[in-house]
Amino acid sequence: MGEGIKWSPYVEEMREQIDQLKISEIKEWEGHDLTPVLEFTTSQAHGGFKAYCTAKVEKIGIGNFYLNEKVHWCFCTIFPREDYDLPIFISRWEEGEKEISFLVDLMPTVDSLIDEDYRKRYLESVQPLWERYASLPGICPEESDVIRSLCSIIYTAAKVPIEKEGMRLAALAPHTEYLKSYLNFLREANPIGSDAKRKEVKRKRRALRETLRTKFFKEVMKDSMGSIMGENLTELISTILF
Amino acid sequence: MARVEYKDMIDFAKVILEEFKLFEGIELVPLEIYQGMDTKPTWEFKTPMASGFYKPCTIKGDSKIEKITIGELHYMRRAKYCALNMTASDDYDLPIYACEFDESAPRVGITVDFMPTVDIAVHEEYVEKYLAPLAELWRKYRTIPGFTKEGRCLVQRRYGPWPWARETLSPYCLDGRVEEREDRSKVIEAIVEYARVWLELWEKAEPVKDPEYKQEMIMRKKTMQRYYRDKDPGGEVLKKIFGEGKHRLFVSLVF
Repeated sequence: MGEGIKWSPYVEEMREQIDQLKISEIKEWEGHDLTPVLEFTTSQAHGGFKAYCTAKVEKIGIGNFYLNEKVHWCFCTIFPREDYDLPIFISRWEEGEKEISFLVDLMPTVDSLIDEDYRKRYLESVQPLWERYASLPGICPEESDVIRSLCSIIYTAAKVPIEKEGMRLAALAPHTEYLKSYLNFLREANPIGSDAKRKEVKRKRRALRETLRTKFFKEVMKDSMGSIMGENLTELISTILF
Repeated sequence: MARVEYKDMIDFAKVILEEFKLFEGIELVPLEIYQGMDTKPTWEFKTPMASGFYKPCTIKGDSKIEKITIGELHYMRRAKYCALNMTASDDYDLPIYACEFDESAPRVGITVDFMPTVDIAVHEEYVEKYLAPLAELWRKYRTIPGFTKEGRCLVQRRYGPWPWARETLSPYCLDGRVEEREDRSKVIEAIVEYARVWLELWEKAEPVKDPEYKQEMIMRKKTMQRYYRDKDPGGEVLKKIFGEGKHRLFVSLVF
């Protein structure tokens, strides 16, 4: 914890939701041993990331790290299994003493302009939350052009000025509320019925994953992730999240 | 908040065409028939409630353009509903340049964007080719007062009630409500700058060769056109002004 800063309980609050699922920890993914990233300390940062699986979900990634005790970074992602058309849950949290910058979204795994049923089911139903958080101080478009290109019509992003301590929890609310909606979708989800839709979902998931894996940290951390964490830890965190 | 009287409102088409000379060096020719409809009734119209013009064009000797429409609808000398639309023909995957500029005494409601004709999360190269050239302009103009208010940048939130409309937007859409007179002029500048980028892309555009990609692109384009023509609440106003029969022609030219 930084001097005088009471960091937000991001991981605890998100875990409280995720723990309602019957989750199992994943220790290895695509040939990568994830143990080194469960808890780590480098010259500039310390933190930890974990991956889980559960019914209908390929991977849940969640974790945080503190950079020089001045910035608290947190991330949570949920990739559904390939045979479900569920969106990809993504949450990014960058907390400083005076500002919290964040993004939370349900990234569509189909073209939600064309697929109206999908849009109504997974995006329009979350619109009341999107509208509610429009009044959050510092609301703004996601700054990264690359990430904004992947986002749904209901993404919420902001740079919330911390003028009083209650603002930290106010900024956290979109993350937990979007996550609750996502978990409800998860409970009700059924496998994709048609081959054409399965093919479409597979193609878009692959594209989203590729972009997120190769560009996410470059975009949100201005290319500094490698120098802070080292290439190995960076790759493992990316593997856990995407 | 500055109120702008009707007589002082911006002459949208005149400013764009004559002051900014947007199409200088390009010969626009009237598009008399669009999708089987005679467009001449829109070139100049006057009804008890509204007057104005929508002028659909193509570019002389060019096969890349489906239509370029510039128009104004003056509603009871109280408000102006202005539009500029540039849509490429089905052989080209250029985004749709779409601009609505709706001016009333208290504010201008504005949307200007390059609406992508493919799913950009899947086709990353499309963003690089057609949308990224807007990045700098987007960052410059999104600070116009009204788009950003009390530290909250509400760009890309104007279409709150209409998710189908937000689906059509690119990551570089400028939309919002602008009040002050000088800020309204900055909006016009943004509209023209975006249009100039689109025209540069049009000059360089090559026909789509991949039949599967083309099919996907056309489906998305037609879906967007269907949404705006069938669902845009502005269409209801046009129905009241022009009647059921003619309103289809107007909405098809505006989008």
